[in-house]
Amino acid sequence: MRTALVFHPRYLLHEQSREHPERRERLSYTVDQVREEGLFDHPQILTLTPKKAPWDAVAKVHIPEYLRFLEEASKSGGFIDFDTTIPPGLFSSALLAAGGALRAADAVISGEAQNAFALVRPPGHHARPGTGAGFCYLNNVAIMTRYVQEKGIRRVMILDWDAHHGDGTQQIFYEDPSVLFTSIHQWPFYPGSGSTDEIGSGKGEGFTANMPVPAGTGDESYHFLFDCVIAPLAHEFSPDLIAISAGQDNHFTDPLTGLALTARGYADLMKKAVDLAEILCGGRLVAVLEGGYSVEGGLPYTNLGIIAAMAGLDLSNIREPEGYREWLVRARDPFAHAKVREHAAALRTNLSPYWRCFA
Amino acid sequence: MLIGMDVGGTNTDVAMVDDGITSLKVPNTLGIRHVLGSIRRTGRLAVSTSTPLNRVLTGPPVKVQTILIPGPGLFWPGSIRGAVNHRGDIVEGIDREEVDVALADRGDVLAIAGKFSVRNPSLEQEVAARALHHYPEEKISLSHPLCALNFPARVATTRLNARIREAVTRLTEEIGAEYRDFLFFKGDGGLIPPDYAVSNPSVLYRSSAAAVALGAYYLSGEAECLVVDFGGTTTDLVALSGGRPVMETLVYDGGRTVTTAVAAESLPYGGDSLIEGGLCPTRVGNALAFGGNRPTLTDALNATGCEIGDAASSRGITRLTGLEVLEEYYSHVSQAVEAHGARRLVGTGYLAPFLLPEIARRTGAFMIIPPHWDCANAVGVAISRVSLTLYARFDSGRGLVVFNGEPEVLRKMGDDEAVLDRCREEVQQRALAAGADPCDVEDVQVLFFHTYDVIRSAYRSARIADVVVQIAPGITAEAP
Repeated sequence: MRTALVFHPRYLLHEQSREHPERRERLSYTVDQVREEGLFDHPQILTLTPKKAPWDAVAKVHIPEYLRFLEEASKSGGFIDFDTTIPPGLFSSALLAAGGALRAADAVISGEAQNAFALVRPPGHHARPGTGAGFCYLNNVAIMTRYVQEKGIRRVMILDWDAHHGDGTQQIFYEDPSVLFTSIHQWPFYPGSGSTDEIGSGKGEGFTANMPVPAGTGDESYHFLFDCVIAPLAHEFSPDLIAISAGQDNHFTDPLTGLALTARGYADLMKKAVDLAEILCGGRLVAVLEGGYSVEGGLPYTNLGIIAAMAGLDLSNIREPEGYREWLVRARDPFAHAKVREHAAALRTNLSPYWRCFA
Repeated sequence: MLIGMDVGGTNTDVAMVDDGITSLKVPNTLGIRHVLGSIRRTGRLAVSTSTPLNRVLTGPPVKVQTILIPGPGLFWPGSIRGAVNHRGDIVEGIDREEVDVALADRGDVLAIAGKFSVRNPSLEQEVAARALHHYPEEKISLSHPLCALNFPARVATTRLNARIREAVTRLTEEIGAEYRDFLFFKGDGGLIPPDYAVSNPSVLYRSSAAAVALGAYYLSGEAECLVVDFGGTTTDLVALSGGRPVMETLVYDGGRTVTTAVAAESLPYGGDSLIEGGLCPTRVGNALAFGGNRPTLTDALNATGCEIGDAASSRGITRLTGLEVLEEYYSHVSQAVEAHGARRLVGTGYLAPFLLPEIARRTGAFMIIPPHWDCANAVGVAISRVSLTLYARFDSGRGLVVFNGEPEVLRKMGDDEAVLDRCREEVQQRALAAGADPCDVEDVQVLFFHTYDVIRSAYRSARIADVVVQIAPGITAEAP
């Protein structure tokens, strides 16, 4: 069994409000696509049902004051910010999402599966130790990272490719040299952080690598960044597990962002990550769903591409319907790649004191 | 009057159930019309036909031509252009010339399957319309009537259906000529009208095993047991849990199908198994005791003192040979029974009283041979009830509701309860139209329900609901 798919029907039900971008509809078409492709009973895929994450595991990342607030506010509803309200029952939904990441990690550590994708909602990468933000409540990837470290997986490399900078995850591990945090994100953009100057601090200095990209950035630039920044860093860091904050809002159809990645671009990117994990850490790779708001036109194709790449399936037909071509042409900015190279060069310079590969 | 008919390998068993149970056993050589003619009673007829269908599947190889319309997604070799998306919209049309070229590579039967055809069948139907120039309708199977999302499983099921659809169509015509409103018995123990069976004949697979399971439960009242059915060609084991047979997904040609059926273990030894240097897992004809030319397991029983059929004709077998052959049989079956770990055995089939006691002794299980053990299969068919599953997809944005792969105009969707009520009513009406007893349709189970708003430009523009409801298989309220 190659790939574990962690899913719970309750992941479809969380909703801040009926019109919120992070709503029930978000994963419904993806699940239809995955079901129609037969992936829930594919011989190379193991479908796993998660449980709620235990308080102790969550408390390794979030302060108890915040957890108690979240638990209390979830009883009748509450408010963090205008993007992130607390609907009744939220705490339970958030714990189940974090539990999905843990179940995925368990599958990979135990050898049940080589890699795993937790198709969770709500997402997590903006959540900081003391607060939620940007549709996120509990930082699923961070909770999972601390969890695997307790189980003896010492060095974790996080690749956050969500279109928004994973500020919560960055903050949690900013001073920690056992976690290499890398992020490709649209910039300038929400949440505003994620410049090439933010490289970690204290013992963690040099262990944060931000790759900001302008609107209109497409497949070519993502692959360039993977080959020129992420892969060299990974080889030198030599992780015991690769975690991916898999935000699918870089797709050219996403209504909240301005990037231009295709479904095939996502699949090929994941294929590179899977290959890297095979070379560096016995294939141990855990992907956790983050954002992605092109619920009907994008997510079914991107999520499918990611799963197919993880399971080692043929990617040649991973694509959007033919009618999307003009949309993609409009989304791409031909000048974006030059900017990406410029930022990458700046980053390599900033990180050169810490990494031989950039010296 | 409830009439059940199970077409087996050698004979057709018929049971007529009202205040009492009467049964008939008619050799298949006389033909199905003869069997129907010999019933001479009016009532609801239900027919189980898995054995003849099995014979089609295990018969001479048939070239199944498969035309796939997968659209974007996982790669399928040999597919044609065209795509329906998850919402049911046609996002890529088919290329008619390409379809015609594909059809020129003719097979014996044709399977057509498109991804998301259960949301919009029109591309499959378009290909099927062109295929009618090359194949008669009964040799073409489509995937959208299979209702469930799971393209690979629908492909496997459609290929299986393509192989047996013609046989089911013929049977429907033949039985329908005598009994207009008959029902087919499914492999999950429920009944369906013939048109359902013709569009998805895979559901008839393993119906004989399901018939035995239901009949054994009805006649014995044993809810937790292993049913051991002693047939002419095979001995079948079916586990009952909570009075229902354990179910499993059918696998055909190495692929999982969308169809579930009774989990049955079939051992290739029965009363007609040939004795030739030991017990052979083959049937060449009847036992000597029933006019055959060569000795079988039944003759071995006679050689050890039983009186079955014309016992004197079994003399060709010595007592010693009889004992050896029976030892071989008991050893095979006891081993298989033991693997199930059952504490209670229910025996059915004509030879049950002769063979089950020794198997029970060897396995240490408690043994029950219910009344009418020799026609439990046909009784199971007779006392079954109409069982339908309805897959519904409501999409107010498209103004459509798709019931079992067939779109209809959706005038008003209503709230969640209204959607569920509509589905319950729809499946009840369909079951009543198929001849279900009104008491049997009262309990509609909701197997799946998911609903969500469609938000476009920050406004609610539509609502979608996916629902699966079922009138579960079981024993009809009409059964005495």
